[in-house]
Amino acid sequence: MQLRHVSTNLRQGLRRNASMHLAVVLTLFVSLSLAGIGLMMSKQAELTVDVIGSELQIQVVLCLPDDPQNASCTSEVTEEQKSAIATAIDDNPEVADFRFESKAESLEKLKALLGPEQFEGPDPVFTVEDAPQAVRITLEDPNDFDGTVDAVANLDGVSYITLAKDEVKPIFTLIDVLQYSSWGAAAALLLASILLVANTIRLTALARRKEIEIMRLVGASRIFIALPFLLEALVTALLGVALAVGAVAAFTQFALIGGLSEVVRALPFIGWAEWAETSLVLVVVAPILTVVPTLLLTRKYLRL
Amino acid sequence: MYRPGPRPAFSRIPGTSRTVRPVIRFEKVTKSYAGPDKPALNQVTINVDKGEFVFLVGASGSGKSTALRLLLREMRPTTGRVYVAGKEINRLATWKVPRLRRQIGTVFQDFRLLPNKNVSENVAFALQVIGRSGRDIKRTVPETLELVGLSDKANRMPEELSGGEQQRVAIARAMVNHPMILIADEPTGNLDPATSVGIMKLLDRINATGTTVLMATHDHGVVDQMRKRVIELDHGRVVRDEATGVYGFQH
Repeated sequence: MQLRHVSTNLRQGLRRNASMHLAVVLTLFVSLSLAGIGLMMSKQAELTVDVIGSELQIQVVLCLPDDPQNASCTSEVTEEQKSAIATAIDDNPEVADFRFESKAESLEKLKALLGPEQFEGPDPVFTVEDAPQAVRITLEDPNDFDGTVDAVANLDGVSYITLAKDEVKPIFTLIDVLQYSSWGAAAALLLASILLVANTIRLTALARRKEIEIMRLVGASRIFIALPFLLEALVTALLGVALAVGAVAAFTQFALIGGLSEVVRALPFIGWAEWAETSLVLVVVAPILTVVPTLLLTRKYLRL
Repeated sequence: MYRPGPRPAFSRIPGTSRTVRPVIRFEKVTKSYAGPDKPALNQVTINVDKGEFVFLVGASGSGKSTALRLLLREMRPTTGRVYVAGKEINRLATWKVPRLRRQIGTVFQDFRLLPNKNVSENVAFALQVIGRSGRDIKRTVPETLELVGLSDKANRMPEELSGGEQQRVAIARAMVNHPMILIADEPTGNLDPATSVGIMKLLDRINATGTTVLMATHDHGVVDQMRKRVIELDHGRVVRDEATGVYGFQH
């Protein structure tokens, strides 16, 4: 009887304010999609930093035998040369931190950049011998790098230096813009959806005021009175989430997997694993975002 | 204006009044609303024993409604204490208030039936929303409709009923959970005198089964006829408390 009462109420409630609920579902859908894309972008940023380094980094690539980048390199960098380089870097106040990267690590990064095809098979294009050792320097300030570059550039065993700042900055700017604009839009729309939830509750409370008044008088518990409202909020949230998860999936498929990653071959892109993580976050967060305001607002409008 | 009559009513059984715990007790209750107005209730002390029938009379604004709302814990007194069945209800945690209200049935002047439910559903609603089982409800509702004399109208909609019948449905809804106390706020206010008599007979019958009845009213005829205990409020003070009273001296 109780369950039937609750489900009847829920169905009536959803039908009574169908247009309002649809508005909530749609705003939630758009805001959660944007929030999801924002989350994906921050994961993309992390992945990009992992592979190509942040703008705080300088990469000092060390000599290979027959180095294709630098003719003055005649052999693989020696241990003495490496320790001289380490001393020069360590002495420089611009440097926050640095570490050597082995040939194996370097090969892994190459693989991530170029895709595994050229590293496999009986006669791969690249082997570990083709991967140069390197030093990754992290700067205190992305704009103070002249001293470090000058100190290291002419040392023996150094093939060439790349400033991540130059290569990476446009990429990060793009990712940041995407990320923050989607967060911002998501926040604004989320506010809109909470206001819509508030309006829906107010309308419903008005439509059902006689019933609610009687429920209070005969001693229905607060949770029992609020339950239809909470369930309505939950249903709309889950519909919104379902649509948003779909939209983020479409974004993953068409913008990332089948889009950018086809065009921008030099960068690795996130995929379905990140989509799954993002969806999980949305599934957990969205109901909280609608149910909590509903709890507070039912208290307010129903005088519970 | 008034000469307070003999009081208080609870001493009418000498020697027992102190040992019987009143089912309702107001202890020096004052309730002020925001604003410069005088308090709605001013140092009111009332005791009602189990099984009593009490009229609460007084002009509009004398504090009757405030007293009833305090009893239902719709609000708390500014100072003083309100007890129901020995429990101080103004100190009750909010989540326990529904349990208090399940012990108190309430009836109003405007019936407050749900227009989209029939008689039997209106009565059943009170049990559904406190989580009673369907079997329980099926058994209890017809019994209660029989008590109020509406067994033959269980499937009618409220709009098809007369005012008196609608009030009977409201009484059935208030009584279906067998409350200890029945509060009636102007229950005959919308009814003609003949119908009022029927409602009062019903309330008297309910009272005879042990339910304490507290009825706020303006209805002189009803009060004079019943010869029950009368408590009169005036500007928030108890000015009269008679064991078997009439509405006022002017009548």
